[in-house]
Amino acid sequence: MTTDEVESLYPFLYADKVDLDAVLAQVSASTAAKAAEITQLRAKVLAADGDRLAACAAEMAARFADGGRLLSFGNGGSSTDAQEVAGLFLAPGEGFRPLPAFCLTNDIAVVTALTNDIGFDVVFARQLAALARPGDIAVGLSTSGNSANLLAAFDEAGRRGLLTVGIAGYDGGRMAELDSIDHLFTVPSASVHRVQEAQTTIYHVLWELVLDQLRGDDQ
Amino acid sequence: MAWASGSVTPRALFDRRTAPIDDLAGHAEDVARACHAMAVRFHRGGKLVVFGNGGSCTDAQHVAVEFVHPVIVGKRALPAISLTSDVATLTSVATDEGLEEVFAHQIRFLAESTDIALALSVDGDCPNVLRGLAAARELGMLTVALIGGDGGRIARERAADHVLVARSDDPRVVKEVHVTTYHVLWELVHVFFEQPGVLDPTVLR
Repeated sequence: MTTDEVESLYPFLYADKVDLDAVLAQVSASTAAKAAEITQLRAKVLAADGDRLAACAAEMAARFADGGRLLSFGNGGSSTDAQEVAGLFLAPGEGFRPLPAFCLTNDIAVVTALTNDIGFDVVFARQLAALARPGDIAVGLSTSGNSANLLAAFDEAGRRGLLTVGIAGYDGGRMAELDSIDHLFTVPSASVHRVQEAQTTIYHVLWELVLDQLRGDDQ
Repeated sequence: MAWASGSVTPRALFDRRTAPIDDLAGHAEDVARACHAMAVRFHRGGKLVVFGNGGSCTDAQHVAVEFVHPVIVGKRALPAISLTSDVATLTSVATDEGLEEVFAHQIRFLAESTDIALALSVDGDCPNVLRGLAAARELGMLTVALIGGDGGRIARERAADHVLVARSDDPRVVKEVHVTTYHVLWELVHVFFEQPGVLDPTVLR
């Protein structure tokens, strides 16, 4: 962002006199604008990917029905999303069917061991090589779509026969170029924050669609 | 709570997200006031201490990384810790003193009076979050709570100085409103931070 752009967004930063009420009013307007932005972005994702989300959920449900498990991964903020994905499937709360799911960033011993001994690019791929079975589901999240360890993980998962689901942002980055991702959902925004917010909706919607597909199955 | 069969279409699920986000926009001034109070604390050298259970536990970690390692180049790192990352301490305190004490214990020994407590709870009723907020208040910390549903005990008992309620009875939607809210909190804290005049104690009300 250039100085001019910042000034047009937050003109009070350049005023001589401190006027808290003016600052609060500007900041409030900025909050309302961001709320409108995420709603528009979600509408865009629904229009582009609504049917594909339903198709992906059906394939995930089939994997779970056959004994498959979900393995999730991501870096930074996306690692917390990966934990949320696993936690949501595994412990969804009363009234919802728990399903086997595990987040690869939970085990700090394994993550730091692999990083120290080999390098960070291999962390998720090596974990998948040790833990995954062909009937499992791999879910990887990245805002840029360029994380080297995710790219390696999707290739490893694809080689092993897992169902692979990618959740990315911007234009999908290098994840969009991979042949190893069966279902790729890309949030078309230049804001990391709005991308993450819409990605959260994407995995929540996938979860709810999967449970709906499995309704009536033996538990 | 299970949703009625047949209501589960991608469009219905996406539509469920709209009204709660509009409601957040309607409470923009509350968000702005919380940001201002947080910026004042950071300006005085305070750190952010974040906690919650389940899905909110992952949010606590997300908030911590958001402040410590900003995604926007040029924004300064601000001190923040999540009380949900130390599994050894969590399980130790839970075993010895009970799950209700896991956050309060860490706050008593890791936090200081200048700090900010940010609590997340999708229903506002988590006993350990309430205990954590009480311990934070006892220390003199600024307390901020992101909650959902009808606000639960945290709203009823005014357990935090700033209470922001995501108006939905779906915990997943509440979480999504929280993600937007803390992204906005982070960005607006920096806006206030870049104008130190508004952080002077004399402009505080």
